[in-house]
Amino acid sequence: MFQLHCPHCGATREEEEFSYAGEAYIARPANPEEASDAEWGDYLFMRKNTRGWFWEQWQHTAGCRKVFVVKRHTASYQIAGSWTLAEGKAHYLKESEA
Amino acid sequence: MPNFQPYLQSPLVNFNLPAETVPADSSQQVRANELPLLGYIAIRGELADAAIAAAVSSVTGASVPAAGQFSTGDAGVLVWVSPDELLLVTRRAELAQRLAAFEAAFAGLFAHAVDNSGGLTCLSLSGSEHVTVLRHMGVYDFESLAVGQAVSTVLGKAGGTVLRLEDDGVFLIIRRSFADYLWLLLRKVCTPYRFAVAKLAESGSHPLLRLLDKQHAAPARKAVTA
Ligand SMILES: [Zn+2]
Repeated sequence: MFQLHCPHCGATREEEEFSYAGEAYIARPANPEEASDAEWGDYLFMRKNTRGWFWEQWQHTAGCRKVFVVKRHTASYQIAGSWTLAEGKAHYLKESEA
Repeated sequence: MPNFQPYLQSPLVNFNLPAETVPADSSQQVRANELPLLGYIAIRGELADAAIAAAVSSVTGASVPAAGQFSTGDAGVLVWVSPDELLLVTRRAELAQRLAAFEAAFAGLFAHAVDNSGGLTCLSLSGSEHVTVLRHMGVYDFESLAVGQAVSTVLGKAGGTVLRLEDDGVFLIIRRSFADYLWLLLRKVCTPYRFAVAKLAESGSHPLLRLLDKQHAAPARKAVTA
C-alpha cells in the first residue's frame, strides 16, 4: 500500500484509486512498415523489468481517469515523483541521456 | 397486452424508497435517500482553453470549477471530473434545451456535450455519522472533504463522486449500474448508526435539490412523454 500523487487532480490519493499501466515511454518504431519482426516483437513484448528506479505509467481510474507517469524504485517502493506524460518525458529523456 | 411504451424509472425502484421514507429528525445518525432521475450531461473539452471555458459558463451560468471542486449556476451543478471533462447535473426536463445550448455554444470549438442521464444517479447522505459511514466504504480521507469539493474515489468495489454542498451531508453521484450494489452496501454499513431513509430537505434554493422534478420524486417511475 502506498499513495500516489495525481498531477491532473493535484491530489495525493491511495493506491486503491489507481491502476498500473506498465512501463512508460516505450518508443514505437517510427516506421512500422519497415520494422523487422524482431524490432516489432521487442516493441510489443519486451520490457525492462528493472530492479531499481523505474519509469512507469499509472492511471487514476477512480478519479480523473488520466494516465500519468511515476518514477518509482521497484525494490524499495520509494517514489521520486509523478508528472503528466508530457512533463515527465523531459525528465525521462534527460535521465536516459546521462 | 404487454406495454411497449418506454418509461423512466430509478435504478433503485425495486427498493421502493418512497414507501420507506420517514421525516428527518435528530435521532437519526445517518440519513440517506435517492435524488432520482436528474439530468446528467458530460462535457468534454480542454478546460484550460478560454473559449471553451467561456462557452461552458455561458450555457450553465456557472464558472468552470477548479480541480476537485464544483460550481453552481442557473443550469445546475457543474462538477470537475478531469482537465478536459466536466459533469453538469441539471433538471431532467431541461436536458434537450441544455444540449442544444451546448451545441450552439461549442460551434467551431473542439468540445462537445453528451447526455449521460441513463448512466448515473444521485444519493443524499447526511446526519452526524455520515462521515463515519463514508470511511467504512472508501479509502479517501473523507474527513478532509470541505464544502465546495467534489471527489471521485472508490466506494466499496465501485466508484462514485462525493460532493459536499454543506457540512451536514454529502451527495454521491454513482453509476446507475452500481446503484443496487451501493445502496445495499450503504444499508449494511449504516446498521450500527440509527439509519433512516429520510425525506429530503425542502428544495428551496438548494443548488442540487431544486433540480428534482417533484413528479419524478414521488413514484420513481413515470412514462416518457415523447
Ligand atoms: Zn487524477
